[in-house]
This record gives sequence, C-alpha cells and structure tokens, in this order.
Amino acid sequence: MHATLVEPFSVPFMARALTELLLLAVLAGVVSTHVLTRRLGFVADAMTHTVFPGIVLGFLSAGVDGVLPGALAAAAVTAILLTLLTRSRRVTDDTALAVLLAAMFAVGVVLVSRRASYTADLTSFLFGRLLTVTAGQIAQTAVVAGLVLTTLAVLHKELLLRAFDPRAAAAMGYRIWLLDLVLNLAVALVVVAAAQSVGTILVIALLVVPAATGRLVSDRIAPITLAGVAVAALSGYLGLAISYRASVSHGLRLAGGATVVLTMVAVYLLTLLAAGLARALRSRRTSDAVA
Amino acid sequence: MRPSRRPITAFALAAALTAPLTACGDNATPQLAAAGDGKLAVVATTTQVADFARNIGGDKVTVTQILKPNIDPHEYEPTPADITAIGAAKVVVKSGLGLEKWLDETISAAGFKGTTVDASTGVKIRQGNGDEEQQDGDPHIWHNPRNAKIMVQNIGKAFAAADPADAAAYEKNLADYSAKLDKLDADIQAKIDKLPPDGRKLVTNHDAFGYYIDRYQLEFIGSIIPSFDTSAELSAKDIDDIVAKIKKTGTKAVLSESSLPPKTAEAIARQAGVQVVAGEDALYGDTLGPQGSAGDTYLKMEEHNTDVIVRALGG
Amino acid sequence: MAALHIDHATIAYDTEPVLTGVTGRVHAGEVVALIGPNGAGKSTLIKAVLGLVPVVGGTVTVLGRAPAAARRDVAYVPQADSLDPQFPVSVAQVVLMGRYREVGWLRRPGRDDRRIAADALDQVGLADRARATFGTLSGGQRQRVLLARAIAQRPRLLLLDEPFNGVDLVSQDALLGALGELKRQGTAVLLSTHDLALAQHVSDHACLLNRRMFGFGPTGATLTPDLLRATYGNQALELHGDQIVVAHH
Repeated sequence: MHATLVEPFSVPFMARALTELLLLAVLAGVVSTHVLTRRLGFVADAMTHTVFPGIVLGFLSAGVDGVLPGALAAAAVTAILLTLLTRSRRVTDDTALAVLLAAMFAVGVVLVSRRASYTADLTSFLFGRLLTVTAGQIAQTAVVAGLVLTTLAVLHKELLLRAFDPRAAAAMGYRIWLLDLVLNLAVALVVVAAAQSVGTILVIALLVVPAATGRLVSDRIAPITLAGVAVAALSGYLGLAISYRASVSHGLRLAGGATVVLTMVAVYLLTLLAAGLARALRSRRTSDAVA
Repeated sequence: MRPSRRPITAFALAAALTAPLTACGDNATPQLAAAGDGKLAVVATTTQVADFARNIGGDKVTVTQILKPNIDPHEYEPTPADITAIGAAKVVVKSGLGLEKWLDETISAAGFKGTTVDASTGVKIRQGNGDEEQQDGDPHIWHNPRNAKIMVQNIGKAFAAADPADAAAYEKNLADYSAKLDKLDADIQAKIDKLPPDGRKLVTNHDAFGYYIDRYQLEFIGSIIPSFDTSAELSAKDIDDIVAKIKKTGTKAVLSESSLPPKTAEAIARQAGVQVVAGEDALYGDTLGPQGSAGDTYLKMEEHNTDVIVRALGG
Repeated sequence: MAALHIDHATIAYDTEPVLTGVTGRVHAGEVVALIGPNGAGKSTLIKAVLGLVPVVGGTVTVLGRAPAAARRDVAYVPQADSLDPQFPVSVAQVVLMGRYREVGWLRRPGRDDRRIAADALDQVGLADRARATFGTLSGGQRQRVLLARAIAQRPRLLLLDEPFNGVDLVSQDALLGALGELKRQGTAVLLSTHDLALAQHVSDHACLLNRRMFGFGPTGATLTPDLLRATYGNQALELHGDQIVVAHH
C-alpha cells in the first residue's frame, strides 16, 4: 500500500499536482458550501461553459498566455451580467442563465469556426493539465484561494443570512445584489483556477460534490464545510495516487482529473450508503426500545 | 432528506468502506527504461521517430514510445508513466515543427536533464497552409525518405553523444538503415514512374502528404480537411470546391487516411462520383499502423502508402 | 412623535402604483393590524415602510426619518413558510442573525450578542430548542423563532407579515404573549393578518386595505360590517352582530 499511497508523491511532478489539488480542495470545498446553500449549481455549471468564448478570445489575442486572462474576463462578465439580470424581478435565475449561456457559447463557436485553427491549447482548458502544473500556477492558485477564502470569511455571517432569508436581509438594509455579485465572482474565480488543473468539464464536480457529501453527514454549515474540504482533499490524494499507479505499473490510462472526480463521487456514494445505514440502524434501535 | 445526527458515525462507516479501495498490490513493475540495465534510456514521441530510434539504437537502447498508433499527436495529454519515463531518460527524440506542443511543458514537469533531439533539424521545410499554428511549416516531413535519412542522422548523432561507448554500434546501425532508406526511395520512384504523366492526381484526407507529393512529383488536387489540424471542419463551400475540382481535373480516387474517420472522404467521393479508398486500404498519414498492420514500421508504411496510391491511380 | 407616520401615500411596485390613499400613524406601544384580502397591498405597504419599494406620492416617515434611513431601528418578521426548512442552520443561529447589523461588517457576534439572542428566544418560549435545526420545528415554532430574531434586533418598530398564518394554538399564544410584552416595552407594532378575531384581540388600531385604504382607526370602530364589506367587496358575512366572518377566496 505504501507503493500506492506514498511513493508516487516523492516524484516532483506528482508532489506539485498534489499541492495544487489540495489547494483546490480547500478553495472549492468552502465555495461548494455556498453553492449548496444558494443553490448555485446551475450557475457554476453555466460558468464552465461561458468561459469558452473568453478562452478563445484570449487565445486569438495573445496565444497561450492569453487563455487565462480571457477565461477570467469571461467568468467575471458572466458573474456581473448574471447578477444584474437577476436583480430585475422579471427575469428568474434560470432564464437569465440560459440566455447568457446560449449567447456566450454561440459567440465562442463563431469565433472558433472563423479559423480552421489549432485546438490543443483550448482542449487543455477543457480537460485540464494536472500533471504538468508548474510552481507558478500553484502560486496563482494560492493567491486566488487566499483572496476568495478571506473574502468569504469576512462576509460569512452576511452571506449566511442572505442565503437563509433574503427578505430579512434586505429589510435589515443589506444590498442583496452586492452580496450575490461577490459570491458569483468567487465562484467564477474558482471555476477559472480549477479549470487549469482539472479542466472546465470537471470543475463542476469540485463545486458540488464536496458540500453535497458534507450535507449527508451534518446539518450545520461548519461541519458541512469541513467535511467537504476533507472529501475533496482525500479524493484529490487518492485519485492522483490511483491514476499514477495505474499508469506506471499497469499501463492503464486514467486521466488524472477524471480519476479525482470519480473518486469524489465514489466517496459521496459510500457516504450516502453509510448515512442510510446509520439511519436505518437508529430507527431500528428506536422501534426496539419502543417495543 | 434528514441527515444523520451522528456525523462521526456516518463518516467512520464511510471511511471504513473506502479503505479497501486503497489496497493495491505492491508488485510495482515499472515499464520504464531502468537506469541499471546499461542501456541508454530513450523516450521518443511519435510512432515514426520511435521506429527510427529503435532502428538506430538497436540493442544498446531502451526506447519508451509516448504516442500509440492512430493517436492524434496534437492534443496528447501525458500520463504519469510518460512523465516518469521522460524524467528517467537521457535522450528525448521529438519529431518537431510544432507537432508536439505539449512536450515542452511535459519535459519541464518531469525535471528532464538530458538532451532533446529535434529530428527535423536540417530538413528543408515546406510552407504551412497559412494557419498561424503552422508558422513552423508542414510537420509531416517523414513521408519523404530523403528527409527520413536526415532525421535518423540527427538521432544517431545524439545517441553517440549521449553514449560514446556505443558510438560505433550506432554508426553501423545508422549506415545500415540509411541504405534501407535509399532502397525505399528508389523503389517508390520506380513504382511512381510506371504511372502515366497525367494520371498522378491525388485527393486525400488532410495535407499530410505534401513532402511525398513534392518528392515524387504527384499532383495534389485538394485535401478533404484543409488544414494540418485533424479537427478542422469543412464548410459546405469547401466541399463544393473540392468536388468541382475533382470533376474538372478528372481525379480518379479519393484516398482516406487510417487515423481519420473515412465518412467525410466517402461523402465527397459520392458527390464527385469517384472511387474512395478507405479503411483497411487507407493511407498512413500521421502515425504508423498498430502492431501487425501493413504499416507498423516506417519502411512498411511508405511501401504500403505507395502501393495504395499507385493502385488507386490505375497503375 | 409617531413611530410610523403615513400621509396620503401612494406605493408602487416597480413602477406600477398598487396602493393609494394610505394615511395613518403607529405610536410607540401600539399595535396596528393591516387587514385586507390577498393581493390588497398589505405586504407592499410593509415593504414601503422598510424602504424596499418606492413611495411615489405622499410620504412615509419612519421614526422621523425616511424609511431607508431608519432600518437600524426597524425589524421585520417574514412568514416562516417562505423559508427553506432544509437549510442547515440552528435555531440559535437564526436568532443571532438579528444581531448582525449591530455587530457590523467585519466583527463577529460577541458574548453580549449571544445573551441578547438567548433572551429573545426565551421571550418566545423556545429556549430549550436553541440547538435544534430550524427546519425540524413546527411551523408555529419557526414563526416564533423569527419573531425572536426580530426581538434580538431591539427595534423601535416591528413589522410582521401574516404572523399567525398556519400557526398552532400553542405557538399562537406564545406569539401573542411576546407581542404583548413588546407593546408594554414601548415597541410600535404593525402586523398584517386576515384573522379578524386575532386582530381584534391583539391590536389597538386597524387599517383596512384593498388597493386603497378603506379605513384607519381604533379596532372596534374600524372592523365594522360596512367597512369590511367595502374592503372585501361584498364577501363579508355578518354573524351574531359582533362576530364578523369573512369568506376566504
């Protein structure tokens, strides 16, 4: 077991990949709780699509170096537009999102189809490049994590109130749209940060599964968040280890990002099972006591 | 859905059930070039340069090949095994000209400290198709056996420099293989010469055969996929253009490559009313064929391609 | 000075005027009930007092200031069933939310805040449920918790949106008790309801609304068959002269 769990990470590129994943685990784990309580799953998923035109534009303007700024800009624009659109009572979250999503994705497709061009750098954003993550990218992720986590910590109680009771929050004088904008931007940042390593297609898992798992074992924000981070970290670690061992010892190709996500889902399912069993055992004990 | 009131219990159960997942055999049998067996550890990217490397290195090298047959080299994502192999290697052989854009990142992630050989050094490059990504030119240099000679020379030189003790062996292998390449060149020339001068028009999937066409002076009508990138799509106008050209020039056949789906080629051939050569008889453009196929070595690949082209053109 | 002074106000929702001709005052220690059918504009009026919808004609003055400026001293109690019962939060956490404005942006609630919250929860009789998940309480208990949250704000004006809807008798008693105590302490209370019996029981004044105001005055004088019939559009029925029943639609 040592060969699977410890040895891979003595290799520098694996250690870097693990560091990146652990950083993302903390970041996405915390943001995931907010995604859960505000039901932003659809928003987060949409953002993974709306970054596409940003990536294309960035690539067209500045090559590979333009991809990240392009993605950031697109994600930020999505967050802002979304917040503005849902401020108007006539437009619901889902409608606004669907409109935005279709429009931005279409822009991306038009841009791409105008040139029969080279897509490798773009697909790396879709699927992520976990194993070739550099120290520089890790530093970037750390900065984003620091920024987002600090902001969410500072606004913790206000975000909780807004999520639980937006009417009371408004009555107390909090600007709902501003709190929403901050959170949407936080989600956007996580989408872009995580996309570089695990790809946009898998980012949504990082933003949804951790808190969903935490919700199975607790009904308090703090434990849910802790559990979410733990699940994400554990899955990152195990997923990487499995992917490494499969490739190096068995010649099996298990893409790093996807293996991490599958591991996370497996942990979720096992937790679901365990929680169900625990519940069944407890009610059995109760009915025994009654009888 | 009411969650458990005993978070810890549920979690412990989950952890207990997850533990078996981590139980893996300790029989780590790395399929990597081990430093200890005295052979020069080489990593080669494409199927073609891997074949060259094996031929030049002989039993003095262990070659780890990254790309498998029929895998598109443009969008490859390296595996842990690939990166580990590169980290342990002394020489990395690449085909060059932008074919392996992912290689630089991979090499730095692996902490590679050896020599990187760009097999395309010294080869006269054809112009690319005008696409930005092809500013380095057309990368399919190997389809001209004379270019292949230059490529293997580069490889041989690098091997000798990294492993001077076996330099003599490498030189001999190089000489032997170069002779084979010369013979290949002559064979192909002979077969092509048998075709009538106005019956040498070729339509194939994507522009992979530029160097072959230049060397043997065939006539290239158009490709099914206009750029060198295999995922570029054809517009309706592009298709009409090609069909018109086919009809106007009297091309007899559309040839499909083995590493691309033949449906697009078939569609055009149907519209233009010409023969489609696809599937088993397909041409090997981007990669060698898999083990046991008609194109599983470079020499066999070029012979096979020539036979298919000549047959389709009525020779 | 009245805690709440409304003078010939026209309230809009977005840009549409939906409520006109509202005039009345709520003083400290008084309870005023907003009475009217669904869609009458009761919630809209409450939102106007909170400064959340525009007042396009006349004035609404809260504690001598514009509504938005007075929020610090105004507390709002929404209907409990508008909240997600699955939300992972405890009763104590909900009540503590009432202290957030006082605590401010960057600080965390302190011991004093927790004590105030605990007292507030005690006032509604749910001190023993502090650690429970909010959603596990009954509808009436949840409504009491929301009132406790408002009490924790220590407001001078309290606004309640249909607080007795779907509330069991025990919780109803607790709510009435807490409101009575607030009244004694000098808090001004404005609550909307369509339970006329409760309105008569708890409030000093009544305000009849149905897109416009049909009456404002002492409860006994205002909840008359004629005014009610006018407000509810002939759906009011008379029973035993002093007990009035309105047909719900």
